[in-house]
Amino acid sequence: MQSADLRTTPGTIPLPTDYDEVDLVPVRTYWQLVRQRFLRHRLAVIALVTLSILIAIAIVIPTLTGDQYQKSNLALIDGGPRLAAPLGYDDIGRNVFLRLVKATQTSLIIGFAAVAIIAGIGALVGSLAGYFGGWVDNLLMRVVDVVLSLPYLFLILLIVAFFGIRDIRVIVIAIGIAGWTTAARLVRGEFLQLREMDFVAAAKALGAGPRRIIVRHMLPGAMAPLVVASSLGVADAIIGESALSFLGFGIAPPQVSLGQMLQGYRDYFYSNPELIFYPGVVLIVIVLCASFLGDGLRDALDPRQRVES
Amino acid sequence: MATYALRRIIQAIPILFGISILIFLIVQLAPGSPIDRFRNPRVSPEQLAAINRLYGLDRPLFEQYIHWITAYVQIWRVDAWGYSFIDGQPVLTKVGNRLPATLLLMSVSLIVTIVVSIPIGILAAIRQYSLTDKIITTFATIGYAIPSFLLGIYILYFGAVVLYGWTGFGFPLFGRQTLGGDGNPADLAYHLVLPVLSLSVQTIAGFSRYLRAAMLDVMRQDYVRTARAKGASGRRVVGRHALRNALIPLITLIGLSIPSLIAGAVITETIFSYPGIGDLTITAIIGNDYPTIYATAMLVGIFVIMGNLIADILYGVVDPRIKY
Repeated sequence: MQSADLRTTPGTIPLPTDYDEVDLVPVRTYWQLVRQRFLRHRLAVIALVTLSILIAIAIVIPTLTGDQYQKSNLALIDGGPRLAAPLGYDDIGRNVFLRLVKATQTSLIIGFAAVAIIAGIGALVGSLAGYFGGWVDNLLMRVVDVVLSLPYLFLILLIVAFFGIRDIRVIVIAIGIAGWTTAARLVRGEFLQLREMDFVAAAKALGAGPRRIIVRHMLPGAMAPLVVASSLGVADAIIGESALSFLGFGIAPPQVSLGQMLQGYRDYFYSNPELIFYPGVVLIVIVLCASFLGDGLRDALDPRQRVES
Repeated sequence: MATYALRRIIQAIPILFGISILIFLIVQLAPGSPIDRFRNPRVSPEQLAAINRLYGLDRPLFEQYIHWITAYVQIWRVDAWGYSFIDGQPVLTKVGNRLPATLLLMSVSLIVTIVVSIPIGILAAIRQYSLTDKIITTFATIGYAIPSFLLGIYILYFGAVVLYGWTGFGFPLFGRQTLGGDGNPADLAYHLVLPVLSLSVQTIAGFSRYLRAAMLDVMRQDYVRTARAKGASGRRVVGRHALRNALIPLITLIGLSIPSLIAGAVITETIFSYPGIGDLTITAIIGNDYPTIYATAMLVGIFVIMGNLIADILYGVVDPRIKY
């Protein structure tokens, strides 16, 4: 048949005539492909495992020990490590390990909560700008320009300073307000491409309104950049909170966060230098994990990337 | 070219207005008021109302904004930015006193960044996938990921405490110069080492990663292959043909790094008690010194806008392929 003709033409790949001979490539769904591509990214897998362990510790231990991390035992000031306190006791006899775990929990909560706000505002602004274009787009993007003109940390600092309340919620909102610009830009870029697609025209022809087209048809297509931006946003948010607490405008004692621990312990440079390293190491691990995870997700979620097996 | 520069400057003006509105809104929307500091049992409500009127806080928001912004631009007047709530000095004077220190810190950091990251980036690119490249890339990734305040504390700890413990020589823990110093350059430099180091590591990491990618990109271009084919030496190919083109985007990068340098300066100045704009801002925030916060926030916005503006214009000057 036709394939037989092709086979004789030099320079072409011979096509199988009997299809039973061909090893059928199993059909894989998008999510199977995503998983496969993600698992290939060794650093991202390690990061995911590490982060999961950290999250598990940050949930379990504070739940079991309650507010033990706030208690100070004057008999144990600067006490050395022991089973109940693997990292010893600090300058006023508090259990450093329990404080560290509680601080990790606070930082993670702030990171994820802030990113929820960032993704929400980013998706809303980005989709409106990208879908409607024209003056809506112009106006919203100028707002993005303005917000970007003040450095991230500086903006958080301003917002928190003027609210004057040192509360987790205020900090989360401040980080959310300062950090949504990247997500909005990414979603907008994706929407500008999606807008020209046939399926959007089809949905319009079927009489779908803007809200339905944006939410049901286009937003799923813009999910990948949003997820990646969110994963990287977690790292930024945690750094933002730590820097804020470090400068003295973050979580107020007796609550504890990684940045606040650093701030509190930096006065013991000479007597107890290891105290500034514990929160620092945890912070670096979280930040590195979140950024590796973001890289892995970026590669995994991109439908244009093929998996060669 | 001149028309392009003019157009960019005109485009920047609405953004500046936007920043001023944003800052104004943050302050207005937040609970609390500049006159809260006068509230105490001995101050009667009438007196509070009088203070309110004195500061113009009883006027409509729009009027307050216009009043503030028209005063702000008249920088030839000493009271243009108001008077500090903390010590009653004109804010303009306070900012003027602090600005040189921050500019010195930032510009030295930028120079160090450029001088260090260019060779690192080239080395990583021309030996792609070698051990050197892997070490550089790993350090760049980590250096980029470490939060700047963390790095600042560790640099302070090792540079001032540990180094002193080991060698009897250490860098100063704080300040711009020795107390009562007369600003002699050696003393200034001695105090600048650690802050510059902590401000530069992140930008060095970012710049060298970027330069590596740019070099790799340029090295694949046809004109580089042509240069090789002509028999130009490796050094000449890299230095003359590849590097010059890879460096062009560096201008944009410098412009874009200004926000992070400023944010870094806030943290670095706090850690090292370096008397610059960042330190001034933090002190002002602690003291609810509204006029000073307004002034420094606007100044930061202006810095960022100017940085982007100059980078955009210079980019056009350096790269002849850009047409306007």
